Amino acid sequence: MSDAHPLIQVKNLDLYFGSFHALKDVSVDFHAGELVGLVGDNGAGKTTLIRVLCGIHKPSKGEVYFDGELVTEFHPKLAIDQGIETIQQSVGLCDNLSIARNFYLGREPMKKIVGIPFLDFKQMRSMSTKVIRAFGLRDNVSADDEVERLSGGERQSVKIGRAVEFKNRVVIMDEPTNHLSVREREHVNELAVQLKEQGLLVIYITHDIFQVHKLADRVVIMENGEKIEDASTDSMTAEQLEEVIRQGGRLVEKMGS
Amino acid sequence: MTSTRQLAKSAGFGSVVGVALMLTAFTLIDFSGWWTARTISNVVHFSSILALIAMGQALVIISKEIDLSVGSVYGLTGIAFITFEHSLGVPGAVIAALAIAAVCGLLQGLAVVRGGLPSMIVTLGGLFTFRGIIYVWTGGSVRNFSEAARENWLTKLFGGEVFGIEAAVLWMLLMLAILSVVLKFTRFGNHLLATGGASDSAESRGVRIDRVKIITFVMCSVMAGFAGIVTLADQPQTHVTIGDLLELEAISAAVIGGCLLSGGRGSLIGAVLGAFIVTSFRYELIALGAPSSWFITFVGVVLIVAIIFNQKLARWAGHNV
Amino acid sequence: MADAAFKPLVRKHSEIGIFLIAILLIVFFAATSEGRWNNSYNISTILQITATLGLMTLGVALVVGTGEIDISVGSTFGMSALIYLFLAVRVDPFIAATAAVCVGALIGAFNGYLVTKTGTPSLIITLGSLMIFRGLAIALTSGFAFSIPYKERGGFSYFILGGDNMFNFGTFAGVNTGFLWLIFALVVLTVVLKLMPYGNHLLAVGGSSESAHSRGIRVDRVKLKAFIICGALAGLGGVLEAGKLGSADGSMGRLMELQAIASCVLGGCLLAGGRISLIGALMGAFVLSSIQSYLVVMAVRPQWFMVLLGIIVVFAALGDKKLRHWAHKH
Repeated sequence: MSDAHPLIQVKNLDLYFGSFHALKDVSVDFHAGELVGLVGDNGAGKTTLIRVLCGIHKPSKGEVYFDGELVTEFHPKLAIDQGIETIQQSVGLCDNLSIARNFYLGREPMKKIVGIPFLDFKQMRSMSTKVIRAFGLRDNVSADDEVERLSGGERQSVKIGRAVEFKNRVVIMDEPTNHLSVREREHVNELAVQLKEQGLLVIYITHDIFQVHKLADRVVIMENGEKIEDASTDSMTAEQLEEVIRQGGRLVEKMGS
Repeated sequence: MTSTRQLAKSAGFGSVVGVALMLTAFTLIDFSGWWTARTISNVVHFSSILALIAMGQALVIISKEIDLSVGSVYGLTGIAFITFEHSLGVPGAVIAALAIAAVCGLLQGLAVVRGGLPSMIVTLGGLFTFRGIIYVWTGGSVRNFSEAARENWLTKLFGGEVFGIEAAVLWMLLMLAILSVVLKFTRFGNHLLATGGASDSAESRGVRIDRVKIITFVMCSVMAGFAGIVTLADQPQTHVTIGDLLELEAISAAVIGGCLLSGGRGSLIGAVLGAFIVTSFRYELIALGAPSSWFITFVGVVLIVAIIFNQKLARWAGHNV
Repeated sequence: MADAAFKPLVRKHSEIGIFLIAILLIVFFAATSEGRWNNSYNISTILQITATLGLMTLGVALVVGTGEIDISVGSTFGMSALIYLFLAVRVDPFIAATAAVCVGALIGAFNGYLVTKTGTPSLIITLGSLMIFRGLAIALTSGFAFSIPYKERGGFSYFILGGDNMFNFGTFAGVNTGFLWLIFALVVLTVVLKLMPYGNHLLAVGGSSESAHSRGIRVDRVKLKAFIICGALAGLGGVLEAGKLGSADGSMGRLMELQAIASCVLGGCLLAGGRISLIGALMGAFVLSSIQSYLVVMAVRPQWFMVLLGIIVVFAALGDKKLRHWAHKH
């Protein structure tokens, strides 16, 4: 796998927020058809790293290559256009808009009437209805309902459904199973594996190493804005990886020396 | 570098720079005799009155709200002071007028806190209502103090001179001292800063943020009303437009003084210096013979420049705003 | 159980409140004014005032929809009116009107640019431009009024730019042509807001700018456009008012920004952004104009309007909040 050129290549990335050093010289490769677990404690820099990948933050130093090409401009619009879909914890849905409108937010299907582009509500409704049914939302929820009325799990389902529905190359999931019931959680994890099998790159962020070890091909561990471990799940057990997190990278240094 | 950054951390830093630049400029292009006792004394007098209002405004902005009604409250309290003197005498009129100001602040604070409404809307309503009451109450007539009332010791205390210094200046300095102590060294001040900075966290630590906000609105209105009394004690004659647009000058002064609308940050000394800048330019423009309308334009420009500059300064100093 | 049927309706249409208020007020005004309020001449005047205030209100509603605010519109209104009057007699009324609307749009762009580029609160930035352009307007006129001589006010251009009433048959006084512009703007903006991608983006930005940003929406551009449209509409309002009156001085449009914001609040627009009703905001403008006119025809001292306006603004905001709260309770 390592001989194929990586789909996303991060080289010596640094990011500062004011005087706060959020990412420290991070280098990591991600390949298509791979499910990578990105693990670390709160504040380790996992979310910051993926926020760079999906265009929300611009790195202070270092390079990001997508499909072999250097990324020069960072904006969510460009990332989405390139096929990088992100399911984030706290953002992604506007409470005041209907499910259908949220579903297509930023990439609305158009229907031209006398040359003027109008929203294609028919497509918006049918597609989002299909997805919310597939994800088992309550029967009395329709695509025209405002997101405000949905429960935490239902909101997550809309976000994941949206990411799955559009044909993407990369799906980044930030703590996708938070606030979900056991059944919903299994469903989400199955989906992640399915996406990988379809040839997509899936980056799965969590702090539950045991959960992700079962799913992922490879695990990247972060601590204090640094990458401290990058190992395939075949080469290390979940317990070993947990020990790395507990030691906060000191173990790796010891093993390296 | 680090020490400059340290200095810039204090919210009033921008206004210190502003005052220094302004005084240098006025000294270099001195057409009208800026450094004369007469000019300085006038500027300081009116700066003090605006500063009283701006300090109240600064407190409200620190609590992450805004008060657009201060110009009307200033006018209403001033007119109440003059009008009530006939029936209550000077001391009674002062108390009654300040009570009216406090009620204005209390009502608005209650509407913001209990009604859960944006303070901009509530105090916009206040701006109209209190101005309207001025019109309806006075019917557009001019009111005056009697000769005896002008000579009253209390009138002299608010509007005259004490030890050769104008009373307005002394009152301003006194209020600055009191409010600074309240903000920096009391529990209420701590709660106020916490409420503006992070109301959720403040509430979770047991701060009664609703009470803090109501008290702040009352303080702001009382300060505006007090400024009205100080103005009219000096020149006891009312007109219906008294205090018109003063809310804009007060907000400008507070913003120049380093109050960012993101709450939790602000400086009382900054507000005073901001008031000094605004008033000085009014004098300089008049002295240069510019039409008075240029003053309005000028305050607008300064307001925009100040908010951008202070925001950049705060970000540079490492604040998350 | 009418309760249960009504709730979803109110939830989707926050403007219902203002429609009920408008109907009640119309009935009350008609019943108590002995024909002084509800005659065709007065109604026509109210519609003319609604037209110019309404255009401004529509623009402010859009900006409010993005979660920002524009309180400079009163000065924009005045500047555009003066530019129109200045150029109309010298060049041509249509070119003058275009120039005036462009100036409005430029003021909007100025506000929008500063707000989005510097990340400063729009309340302060537009407060600044409110003063800047008010001062300029007074300085431009140096205390005098700009006007178009009455005999020159013939011709179609003057007519269509608010100069006269149309549909005036028999005893019906007709409606000012400015009202046509209002209806036109309302229809276009409603279509844009409800049926086009920009509307979706605008409401998304107001609802949660972070979420909108994460979905690839250029939040700054959306806001900038809203400010430009707002400035242009306030400018158009100024042109139509100047067209109606034929003259204006430096204080033209003063305090109208406050009435426009009040109209938005009355019409069920949420100041936090994301939820606006254009038709509701217009009804708000109509209600305010109606009240003002009622006080005039009933010979109440016009100063009471100010007191009422203040109280109405606060209670409208409170009522709107309570109504929403009720509608969203399960």
